[in-house]
Amino acid sequence: MINSIDLILVLILLAVLLSLGSSRMMALIKIMALQGAMVSLVPIFIEPQARLSNGGILFFQLMLLIKAVLIPGLLYMALNRIAIKREVEPLIGYHASLLVGLGLVMLSAYITRRMGLSLPGDYALLLITAITTTGGGLFLMMSRTKAITQVIGYLMLENGIYLVGTALTKHTHNIYLVEFGVLLDLLAGVMIMGIILHNINRAFDDVDTAYLEQLKD
Amino acid sequence: MDILFAALLLVLAGGLAPLALHRWLSAAKVAHVSLVAAGCLTGLYGVYAAWGQSTPVLFSCPWLHSLTWSLSLDSLATAFLPPIFLLAPVIALYSYDYLDAVEHAWRTAVNHFFFSLLVAAMVLVTLADNMAAFALAWELMSLSSYALVLYDYEREETQRAAHLYLLFTQTGALLVFAAFGLLAQSTGSLAFAQIQLAPQAAKTAAFFLALIGFGSKAGVFPLHIWLPHAHPAAPSHVSALMSGVMIKMGVYGILRLYFLLNDFNPLFARTVLVLGMVSGVLGVVYALSKREIKRLLAYSSIENIGVIFIGCGLGMVGLSSGNRIMAAFGFAGGLLHVLNHALFKSLLFMGAGAILHTVGARKMDQLGGLMKTMPVTGRTFLAGSVAISGLPPFNGFVSEFLIYYAAFQGLGLQGPDFLLSMAAIIALALIGGLAAGCFTKVVGIVFLGEPRREHAHAATDPGPTMGAAMTLLAVACLGIGLWPEPFIRFAFAGLRDLAPLAAVSADVLGAVPHNLAVIARVFVGLLLALTALRRLLYRGKPVSQNTTWGCGFTQATSRIQYTGASYSLSIVDFHRPFIKTTTKFAALVRIFPGATQYSRKVEDLAEIGLHRLLVRPVLKIADKLRWIQHGHIQLYIGYIVFTIAALLLVV
Repeated sequence: MINSIDLILVLILLAVLLSLGSSRMMALIKIMALQGAMVSLVPIFIEPQARLSNGGILFFQLMLLIKAVLIPGLLYMALNRIAIKREVEPLIGYHASLLVGLGLVMLSAYITRRMGLSLPGDYALLLITAITTTGGGLFLMMSRTKAITQVIGYLMLENGIYLVGTALTKHTHNIYLVEFGVLLDLLAGVMIMGIILHNINRAFDDVDTAYLEQLKD
Repeated sequence: MDILFAALLLVLAGGLAPLALHRWLSAAKVAHVSLVAAGCLTGLYGVYAAWGQSTPVLFSCPWLHSLTWSLSLDSLATAFLPPIFLLAPVIALYSYDYLDAVEHAWRTAVNHFFFSLLVAAMVLVTLADNMAAFALAWELMSLSSYALVLYDYEREETQRAAHLYLLFTQTGALLVFAAFGLLAQSTGSLAFAQIQLAPQAAKTAAFFLALIGFGSKAGVFPLHIWLPHAHPAAPSHVSALMSGVMIKMGVYGILRLYFLLNDFNPLFARTVLVLGMVSGVLGVVYALSKREIKRLLAYSSIENIGVIFIGCGLGMVGLSSGNRIMAAFGFAGGLLHVLNHALFKSLLFMGAGAILHTVGARKMDQLGGLMKTMPVTGRTFLAGSVAISGLPPFNGFVSEFLIYYAAFQGLGLQGPDFLLSMAAIIALALIGGLAAGCFTKVVGIVFLGEPRREHAHAATDPGPTMGAAMTLLAVACLGIGLWPEPFIRFAFAGLRDLAPLAAVSADVLGAVPHNLAVIARVFVGLLLALTALRRLLYRGKPVSQNTTWGCGFTQATSRIQYTGASYSLSIVDFHRPFIKTTTKFAALVRIFPGATQYSRKVEDLAEIGLHRLLVRPVLKIADKLRWIQHGHIQLYIGYIVFTIAALLLVV
């Protein structure tokens, strides 16, 4: 059981690093779909199977559907509609980004130890992965110019928050408060960003956020 | 408690039904009025049923795992619930004819929805028994009333007024929650019952924080700035509900917290008393100087909140000095004035709304002579004016008399409490006189004399439901004045569950209510006798009627009448240091002077102070920090990242 969890967490970490290093939009979306699927699998493996209620199973299925299919699908459609197949256009180069990603892993290991949270079971990797994913999402938002990459960074950030939530709620999943909150945030966020993307594209013929500087007063 | 829940459900249904029915406007309005009325009557029955029980009715259920949703219906709540349940259906009835714009059907439905929400939220505020429930209900109340003010959302003036209101109400809520936070931190519990265990320092800090927070909702003098802006901007039935009922929730908050703290610090009492005197006197002086009816009524609300504060302050002085009779009379007078002010202020706002609705003029100097063309509005408005001035046959006199009684009890005290009681008597007398002056101005300018503009000629009484609502309230005002005894007992019963006052039974009342009733009845009898005498003496004699202020001229122009400013000039100028007036007048120089102009503007000292001390420095600092906003999204996210990283690594 521990092994499968570690495997999933390592996959999530690798997805973070891969997304920092990838240069194509389409590849980035596929990586996000993979990461979403992995993240929504984590609670199922943490929770003892006997304690999963019917509602719980339904909830995790819904989670998987939204995180791994619906949201990447929406992003894919948005990408097709505004026809950007080109590069991610980084402000910080791919190799430097990868290096920062590795730094993030170390930093989150340090933070995890410093906070000294006693997690039930020995899921030591869980919190590290969670913080790295959050940081990776923020870094992606900071270092790329296309507005759609900001959406993807935001999704990664929410994945990280979801993982932190899973790590900290002590697995008494009878109300799924944190999960529902994250899911709602996520959906609302993607919807809003979809609209904003469309408007930016219409106003400036491009989704480069540099154009938004013209809007300041 | 179950009956009250049923009432709340009915009221909320009365808000949801119009949303569903907005295509059939009159059906939506009928559904709203009847459901709200049914809910409120159920609520009144619930309050009445809880009346006989000697212990508070409690209710609690877990909410979101970590919080408890607990409510209680004790005597203080039963004193504040009747104004809500009585006024809400009458105001809803009034709004039936008031909101008659067919092209705004959806807007009307939304307005009905938030009206119901506000009523339900106010009921929940009075019932709340822990900090979480209170905070939730309080926010619901603030936000729904904000939405109600925004009815005419296209007008820029309305938007500004609504935003000002939101700013004040949310800052006030922030301070109240800060006070709750202090108490919860020191007692480790959100329950109201635990508050009295807090240490002295936390209690004092919490009381003053909450006093500012609740005071800004109630509209006590330096914190009242939103009132004179929000009330003219809101539709009249909303002003009636907000000014008549909602601002009393601020008073409720202060009273509730004061008794929960169980700390009869003389400092609290004196602060509340002084605030009440300042806001009473200055409120009515500013009211005198205003030219718009609704703005004037808003300032008059500030004055009445001042009177209520004087009552509560005298009660607190009585508690801190051990004079139980003074305490009971002070608090009971305050509670009764809450009910009375709800009745007559709603009545007056309805009258102002009826004028606005049929004539369409906001300024008093454009009106005149409406008593002849709008008899129902005029007479009910006159009744409300007499009541709000605290004159005998009406209800305002009863509650103000109780407060006077408390103040006279305070004359037996020593030191500063004696001086404050003396000052309270003087302030009450001053307020009463000035209020009479203020409302003779309104009635004289608006309803008597001759119409000053063409459109005032064509005015007629508004629709039947508006007239019915106003008549109902006027009759209620007179009824409380003529039969004060049950209402005085009601106010005293409101103090029953409050521990320090439990020992004071209604026996202290003695012959007071009876004498009050006799006075009122003698006044009415005298009035009837004089009217009959006049009829008798003038029988058979010719009585000719001429234009008012005609003074023998037959061709008098209506412009020679008194204006509002000329009537109130001398009184307003008397209070010069506390009221800032700027007059523009080119003096007459030659023997045959040409055209000249006179204009006069009165500014609110609190507004000027707020602008100078808070708004201007904040704007200056904000201008200096403008470089932070540069437009790079990536760097904005960077700010967030560095803040989080710093928090995680350092804290």
